[in-house]
Amino acid sequence: MHSEPPLQGPLSRNLARTQAGLALLLLAGIAGLDFFFPTSYRIQAGLHGLSSIASVVVGTMLTHRAYPLIRGVRVNFRSLRRWVLGSAVLNLLGVVSGNWIYMRYRGQDGPRDWILARVPGFHNVLMEFKEFVSLFPFPLMVAVTFVLFYCSDRIHARRDLTQFVAIGILASWFFLMLGFVAGLVLSKLRFV
Amino acid sequence: MKREMYLDPLPERLDVGSMQSVASAYPASVERIYSGPVVAATLAPILGFFTLMVTHHLSRLTKGLDQFVHSFGLWIPGAIGSGPNGSIGSYSGKETLALIVWGISWATLHFLWRRQDFSIRHWIPIFLGLLGLVTVGFFHPVIDPLVLWLASLAGIA
Repeated sequence: MHSEPPLQGPLSRNLARTQAGLALLLLAGIAGLDFFFPTSYRIQAGLHGLSSIASVVVGTMLTHRAYPLIRGVRVNFRSLRRWVLGSAVLNLLGVVSGNWIYMRYRGQDGPRDWILARVPGFHNVLMEFKEFVSLFPFPLMVAVTFVLFYCSDRIHARRDLTQFVAIGILASWFFLMLGFVAGLVLSKLRFV
Repeated sequence: MKREMYLDPLPERLDVGSMQSVASAYPASVERIYSGPVVAATLAPILGFFTLMVTHHLSRLTKGLDQFVHSFGLWIPGAIGSGPNGSIGSYSGKETLALIVWGISWATLHFLWRRQDFSIRHWIPIFLGLLGLVTVGFFHPVIDPLVLWLASLAGIA
């Protein structure tokens, strides 16, 4: 009797990487296609969308590295330092591009005027909440980056500090998601 | 199955339960890390967030206060403008003041606490509590009655 050999490691690894790559590509399309929208503000919209999605993707990936820190599992801190630094840079890009698109949001006949005329609660509550909590992830991730670089590899010996780093990463992710979801809702309501 | 490598459990035994020095409890082989700079680095952003909250509510009370807050942010591109392209208005001043408080408080606290050790296990709930409090401070249905009450006490609104 003949049987096929089971699927081996390289195949499953390649499939997983392909799946992750496709997911990233499709996710980036949510904002990337903004560049082709019929509006004068497509560059601002596309840049803010892409930097926000990239921030959320990297922030979410970092949360998967936060749980081993909480459990006390030994992790590669050199790699973690680089990723949190990259995450902080992406968060800064999100803030700067957010400022740029916010100009048009408040501009004459922009989304704010449209929303205030029809569903004011979305501006007065949701947007006024989103525009501030969206600023939180950047300073939080800067603080996490500082702690990891300041303590360097000596942090291995301080479980309390590794747990605190993990909590900082999770807090940053929470505010990223709040801002991202609120931003999506508002852009669905009225695009720039 | 991959085995997980766990960190040295030593620090678990060092939860001294107070905001006093814990570094002396470490053996000499473990290089000392002062937690003061860690607390400073994580308290400073929260002070910046509180600045955002206060300036945001102040700017909503009167036109004069809004212009005062706005004046700090004129250096930011897009702080002033009209027409379809718009501007970010007094948001620029709120960001600027928050940046100033974040930066100055971080530098000051880092300098003051660079040789201090605080219990991180006690700092974590304080940190999360302050973060939760400032988050609620941006949710108008909850915070507005308090802001208006404080403003009426101060004779602003």
